[in-house]
Amino acid sequence: MLLGLKGLRPLFFLCVLLLFWYVVTMPVPAGLTPEGKNAIAIFLLCLVFWVTNVIPLAITSLFAIVLVPLLGVLPRDEVYGLFGNEAVFFILGAFILAGAVMHSGLSNRIALAIMEKSGASPKRLLISIYLLASVLSFFMSEHAVAAMLFPIVLDIAKGIGLRPGRSGYGKLLFLSLAWGCVIGGVATFLGGARVPLAVGILHETTGATIDFFTYMVAVFPLVAVMLLVGYLVLTRAFRIDVESVGKAHELLARRIHAMGRMSSNEYAVGTVLVLTIISWAIWGSTTGLATIALTSVVVLFVFRLVRWKDIEEYVNWGIILMYGGAIILGSALERSGAAYWMAEKVIGGWVTSPLTAIAIFSLFTLVLTEGISNAAVIAILLPVAIGISGRFDMDPAIVTYSIAVPAGLAFSLPLSTPANAIAVSSNYLTVRDMAKVGVLMSLTAWIVFNLAVRFYWPLVGLGS
Amino acid sequence: MKKNILIVLSTSRTTSRAIDFAVDKAKKEGSGLVALYVIDTGLTNEVFDRFTDIGFIGDKPSTRLTEAIMKEYRQRGYEEIGKVQVRAMEENIDFDAVTAQGAFVEKVIEVIESHNVSTAVVVKRKTSGFLKYFSRSVVDELVEKAPCEVVVFEEEE
Repeated sequence: MLLGLKGLRPLFFLCVLLLFWYVVTMPVPAGLTPEGKNAIAIFLLCLVFWVTNVIPLAITSLFAIVLVPLLGVLPRDEVYGLFGNEAVFFILGAFILAGAVMHSGLSNRIALAIMEKSGASPKRLLISIYLLASVLSFFMSEHAVAAMLFPIVLDIAKGIGLRPGRSGYGKLLFLSLAWGCVIGGVATFLGGARVPLAVGILHETTGATIDFFTYMVAVFPLVAVMLLVGYLVLTRAFRIDVESVGKAHELLARRIHAMGRMSSNEYAVGTVLVLTIISWAIWGSTTGLATIALTSVVVLFVFRLVRWKDIEEYVNWGIILMYGGAIILGSALERSGAAYWMAEKVIGGWVTSPLTAIAIFSLFTLVLTEGISNAAVIAILLPVAIGISGRFDMDPAIVTYSIAVPAGLAFSLPLSTPANAIAVSSNYLTVRDMAKVGVLMSLTAWIVFNLAVRFYWPLVGLGS
Repeated sequence: MKKNILIVLSTSRTTSRAIDFAVDKAKKEGSGLVALYVIDTGLTNEVFDRFTDIGFIGDKPSTRLTEAIMKEYRQRGYEEIGKVQVRAMEENIDFDAVTAQGAFVEKVIEVIESHNVSTAVVVKRKTSGFLKYFSRSVVDELVEKAPCEVVVFEEEE
């Protein structure tokens, strides 16, 4: 808001430029290479732009792509090679698949059918919206799920005559939608691009990786616990102040009727999606997630299940710049030794054991993700966290989980994630309503995550 | 030409105290009452940007989403105007209603000028002490630019 003021904007850019110039021209600190110092200058520049959001996230990533070779941190051909990282193509394939599912109308039909089954009970309708938002976010971007479900939930709230800003049930409906997307979005690689981004940075910096199935095994129980806790927090904080949602039930039935019978296109797109997910789980680690995703995209076009024009309407191509640039920045920090140097200087003194490292990283991540984009949080924190993992002989994959999972768990503010923004824009709840329960939920998420690290992950062979 | 009292309603700011004040003032001064509902496109633009810039969602779902919000805001506008209209009818005050979409200050000044408004009644969002020193709300801007008296109410809890 402050930077929206015309007078402050040039001053802000001048200050950032001066900071950048100062770091680039300062003497090289002990223990750091000149390339490492320049990598830190680029990192600080991107950090400021990602946090303040004064320019689009994807354009900030372009700074990394341009400045890393320009300041001699990495050679030019290596930089552009990193841009073609497997993670970027996996994200692209997953977004195209999700676009095809949305375009076919299949996701909308599934959503309406499940909500309609809840009958006239307010509690059942609430649970169905919450779980539906969550489960759909296992298979497609949580942002796309929020965008798809919001008009339906808005119609429901209107249909049953809830008063914006006053009705407890109204607050519950929109918070369930937002939190369902947020919690479900961390369950698999498909809920958002942040987990593939984290795995991409991990792979480029250490050579290690996390496969689709291992990630799900590690995170699914956490998601189940958080869904349960989230529901309890919401229903304790806000009262269900309606007796029946019969009108919503009628409205949903009318919408389903208007959609007609399920088309052959919907069946075919659904089949491609299911086969893709099965392939990711079984052959993801051997064939490569991106290869499977792109094969499915090709199949969609071979069988004319979707047109290029349709996909263009559902995918924002800025995603390639954002995630490609983030991977380049992460690699530049790690390969120049800057990540390790920063980790030692900034948090080295606080970290006394692997468990405290994970507790600190997950806490930092949860706090940061409330204010800035969760992908930016990963780009900022993960290279530093991987940098410090060597000191305790920790598996860098574990450190990656401790950033990638909490980065998706933004419950308190509309700033960081579109699902929260859209819930507040409905005017059925205020930022204060969201923050009141969100802080409690974030704290719970941190505790649940660290308990899982300590007690559950060793049981499935992680971090042992 | 008869003077009018303007009550400004919007998607993000509303309070019954402001409506009561505007109705009482119009009755006391024998003026007409104009209700203006401004659909603030800034909010929908912000949601659109958030979905495209942070969520990397394509134009079609983002556009559908903002259209759904706009539709909702418009319906709410009619309801809010309806409430003021009922109050005006009860008090036997001449009433006119305007719905506008766009920049708040610009739209309010347009109506002030076109409806011979003597007093505009607006509602301001609550801001924390720290932000008060660094940010200017659109209501502050209106107070500065409006060619008539502007009475400001703070939003209700």
